[in-house]
Amino acid sequence: MECGCPGSKMMDRRDEDSGDDPTVAVKSQLRQWPIQLHLISPEAPYYAGADVLLTADCVAYAMGGYHSEYLKGKSIAIACPKLDAEQTIYATKIQSWFEDAKINTLTVLIMEVPCCGGLLHLAKQALAASSRKVPLKAIVVGLDGEVRSEDWVTA
Amino acid sequence: MEALLNRGIKQIIDEHAEVGPILEAYGIGCVPCSVGTCLLKDIVDIHGLTAVQEQELMTKIAKEVYPDRDIVIPLREDTAPAQGGELTYSPPIKKLVDEHAWIKRLLAQIPAVIEKLDLSSESDRRLVRDMLDFIRNYADRFHHAKEEDILFKYFDENLDILQVMFTDHESGRAHVRAIAEAVETQDRAVVCEHLTAYRELLTEHIKKEDEILYPWMDKELSDSQIGQMFSAFADVDVAFGDGPAKHIAFIETLEAASS
Repeated sequence: MECGCPGSKMMDRRDEDSGDDPTVAVKSQLRQWPIQLHLISPEAPYYAGADVLLTADCVAYAMGGYHSEYLKGKSIAIACPKLDAEQTIYATKIQSWFEDAKINTLTVLIMEVPCCGGLLHLAKQALAASSRKVPLKAIVVGLDGEVRSEDWVTA
Repeated sequence: MEALLNRGIKQIIDEHAEVGPILEAYGIGCVPCSVGTCLLKDIVDIHGLTAVQEQELMTKIAKEVYPDRDIVIPLREDTAPAQGGELTYSPPIKKLVDEHAWIKRLLAQIPAVIEKLDLSSESDRRLVRDMLDFIRNYADRFHHAKEEDILFKYFDENLDILQVMFTDHESGRAHVRAIAEAVETQDRAVVCEHLTAYRELLTEHIKKEDEILYPWMDKELSDSQIGQMFSAFADVDVAFGDGPAKHIAFIETLEAASS
């Protein structure tokens, strides 16, 4: 079903060659649970002083190398800025990462569809409101799983 | 060709003067460098040229150095994009670039200060002492301390490019000492000579850092190192309290007085 929203626009890429050997096992780099932003506590020990990855829900499905290239060595939370409810809680938790968990860096990984920008906006708002500043990086991922841009951003 | 890549750039330029303008055409300003011990291969690597640009540059240099040989430079496999357009920096490196902006504003005032300088006047001697106070405490202790004690520690400090930076810092300190002594003896010629030399040195030094060294360092540092460095810089800012703000206010006063 087609509609005007780029985030919901249908795309069929089944004819494209995946290029990979499907028999190769990829080790998970996830080192914590839970991961959904409503469920996590910003004061959980794995966030203290960590490099944190805030990932839009769809990203891990789009990127082939998500675990090895981005998740490895980082702590994580996931969220959907389009569908999730009560996002003021998200802003509070992100700010708590900066101020209470004293995280080292925050990287926000989002899809290129416009609605995904809301997650970066939340992170910027939380950083602007925070008394403690931290480097914030935005990585935008295309629908083909390739990185469109990777930039340090200011709140 | 391997032998050429492993030679010091100053030596190559001394023997083949045309190599200087060739490098400059690609934004590589080694000719006025105060040290020039960097190897050609490191210089080509650090300037972030595209594979095609690097092939063109090396072909031109090879023709200049070996005019009788028909050397074919292969296209590098790595096709990393060239640094073009506006330079962007990670947050801690951006902090250093912003501090450079204040140092450049002091450097911009030096010609006007020299023009009217009368060292028999107590107010002019105080003006020079205040400028030295800015250089010693803002440019050197506050800013260079972040570079030398934090940023450079993430790299091999024996790298030629870092040795050039250390040498520039030491040369700057020598100019400051000479100015401080000459102010007290009211030796106008020496004060003007060293203020001018300091301005020239720091102008080139900051350009090298902003346009070449920092972008290269940003590429080399991991996100985690960027975070650690940002935090360490914040600690320095806290330790210096309102000192830097007073030095910035001095620059604004100096600019207002000369306008």
